[in-house]
Amino acid sequence: MEERRHTSSHYEMELQEIKNGLIYIGVLTEKAIKTAMQSLTERNSDIAHRVIKDDDEIDKKDTELEERCIRTLALRQPTAIDLRFITTAIKITGHLERIGDMAVNIAERAIQLNEEVKLKAYIDLPRMAELVIEMIKNSIDSFIRNDLKMAEGVRQMEEVTDDLNEQIFRELLTFMMEDSQTIHRSLMIMQVSKNLERIADHAKGIADMVDYMVTGASVRHQAYPSEEKESE
Amino acid sequence: VKRNLFLKILFSYLIIVCLSFFILDLLIKDEIKKVMTDKIEAELLTYAQLIDLNSVQKMSDQFQQIARISNSRVTLVDSQGNVFADSEKDITKMENHFSRPELQEARLRGKGKAIRFSQTIGVDMLYVAIPMKSGSQITGYIRLARPLHDVQSMIEKIYQSVFLAMMIVAVIALIIALFFSYRLAAPIRAMERFTERLRQGHPVGTIFLETSDETEKLADNINYLVDELQSQIRLANEEKSKLMTAFASMTEGVLILNAEDKIEFVNQALSNMLAEQYGDINSKTLMEAFRDVELQKAFLKFKEKHDTVIEEIIFDSVEPVILSVSISSVHNYPEEEKAMFVFHNVTRLKKLEKIRVDFVANVTHEIRTPLTAIIGYLETIKAGTANNIDEMKRFIDISLKQAQRLNRLVEDLLVISKVELGELGFRFEEISLRNALEGVIPLVEAKARLKNITIHNKVQENGAPIRADRDRLTQILVNILDNAVKFTPEAGSVFIESEQKDNYALLTITDTGIGIPKEEVQRLGERFYRVDRSRSRDLGGTGLGLSIVKHLMIAHGGKMEIESQLGKGTKVSLFFPL
Repeated sequence: MEERRHTSSHYEMELQEIKNGLIYIGVLTEKAIKTAMQSLTERNSDIAHRVIKDDDEIDKKDTELEERCIRTLALRQPTAIDLRFITTAIKITGHLERIGDMAVNIAERAIQLNEEVKLKAYIDLPRMAELVIEMIKNSIDSFIRNDLKMAEGVRQMEEVTDDLNEQIFRELLTFMMEDSQTIHRSLMIMQVSKNLERIADHAKGIADMVDYMVTGASVRHQAYPSEEKESE
Repeated sequence: VKRNLFLKILFSYLIIVCLSFFILDLLIKDEIKKVMTDKIEAELLTYAQLIDLNSVQKMSDQFQQIARISNSRVTLVDSQGNVFADSEKDITKMENHFSRPELQEARLRGKGKAIRFSQTIGVDMLYVAIPMKSGSQITGYIRLARPLHDVQSMIEKIYQSVFLAMMIVAVIALIIALFFSYRLAAPIRAMERFTERLRQGHPVGTIFLETSDETEKLADNINYLVDELQSQIRLANEEKSKLMTAFASMTEGVLILNAEDKIEFVNQALSNMLAEQYGDINSKTLMEAFRDVELQKAFLKFKEKHDTVIEEIIFDSVEPVILSVSISSVHNYPEEEKAMFVFHNVTRLKKLEKIRVDFVANVTHEIRTPLTAIIGYLETIKAGTANNIDEMKRFIDISLKQAQRLNRLVEDLLVISKVELGELGFRFEEISLRNALEGVIPLVEAKARLKNITIHNKVQENGAPIRADRDRLTQILVNILDNAVKFTPEAGSVFIESEQKDNYALLTITDTGIGIPKEEVQRLGERFYRVDRSRSRDLGGTGLGLSIVKHLMIAHGGKMEIESQLGKGTKVSLFFPL
């Protein structure tokens, strides 16, 4: 009896460790996005290089967490919600790893943009970045707390980021039409915006999986327009 | 409890009574039966012998009489087993009796008996038979039979008495059970009530029993345990409240993680340090609560090393907070290890450290600049390279000016360190602000006139006097007015106003000067801090003026506030306590 209690609490700890690992990677990606955007707005390429270097840690943590999940699956053979929890966690860390890569993309664009003359003051992009960072935070929190309401909030925020992306796109289009000199820079800013929008999609993907984990029913593949566009 | 005990005692007595009844039944019933039957048998045999003694002829006449006397049925059977006389039955209806066991036994052994259930009268019958002999020849048999209901009724009679005795014993058992259960249960029940109250957490005193048996000893033990328990609880509470008071009054933040790595305790200081930002963090993990990678890393390092870990962590909040975290283990039981985090806010310390380092660098710089100039000019003079006396005079003038500046710098530094150390003597007196200003304004008026700046003194004559040291107040006002004039371009104005605000006399000096960038305002008052280094030094400042004012205002129990807008002017507010 004593032994059983001990092992089950040990098991609880393992699940808790997986949660902590997810938050850890989440915080790292949030920081990567924040720093990449800071490098863009403050025109500081040094910190952008740091983002690119720090992505290795995200990748390392991703692999570590995945291994941890698989080990728990193999040793504990969990059922029902625990099984869904662990499989979902594996998928979420994949999403987070991709988000990290996108933060690197943004940092690379920032380095290029910093070498040229400033095109315009960034207003919508930092707003979008803030939104996206909050989405990542909320999507992971909703996963950890089994909070369907919070997950729903993330999905709503995703629509806002889509609109912002559209708006930035139109704005840059006018720049490009007025002056062909700005085309290169505009395209790069657009890529930053696009990357942020894709990060938002990933955050939504995480939120969708929270629904799956809690209810066991899949809500994925119902509305994934941007993902489809990507594959074309 | 009493009922239970009573029932237990009663039942055990009753079981003993029943058991003895059963054993009695087992042992005695057969014995009585046997003795009785034997007695009847002997009696019947005697009667049968009586018949035997008489001659055969008389026999048939007498057996009726014998039957009556012996209270039995007499049957006479011939040697062939044919019944030829019976005292009760019609012989013609009786079958041959030769095969009857009592006759057979009588034939072989001289007397025979048998107990059979008689169909005719429906009771157990005892049959006794002896042979009639003439010489050694058996001529017939005499059989006597008597129903055994006498024996049965006898046994029933005995049983009745036994049963009665048992009832009496049972009643006695009941009484004894009642008595004992009451005697035993009373102290036990008292102890039970006592411990029950203790369990519910009511205050209990001591329990007194005077039974002078085991229960009294038990009560003594309970009393001892209660005392022990209460003193332990008191001790634990005392320790806990000491610890809690210590935690609560600490300026360091304390956080305790339980064995499941969840936050178990957070003290007030840490709540104050972080609460607004992180909300309720109880029973969350570190990662969930703080979302800080550095802190998690430090914790993992602690878990790996199992030894105290000290790390410096920068928390990204509105303003970054630098915390020094020390993680150590709280040992309870080997399997339940808790971790205690002590957070020390070193932001101010780090800032002070930086200010100190900056100060040394600044002082060196400030001293070296005039010194370089002085040495340079003096060397030129010594080398005799000066062309004429006028030029030499100019060199000496410059050197003197620089030396005076050095002197001013050293004096300012002295004032600052004295104010900071509290060694500057203050002679507080009641001073009217208007009077003080009237003494100070002429000192800066000449300079103002040069730049065509007008000073508007709007301070009322009848304002409430303030408590201040006259010389220091002059120093404060000169510094501020000098700054106002210095940083105001040609044809500007300086306004001096006073009002009463809360418990302070508020003096505001507003200029239409160049102003200060917003992010620099809060750094004003730091030693050697200058918004625009090159220009300010050109204007002859030491970089210590506002710093001195700030410290003097604090020494007066007041404060200085500066608001500024770049290009529009600066407003200095001096709050003097009334």
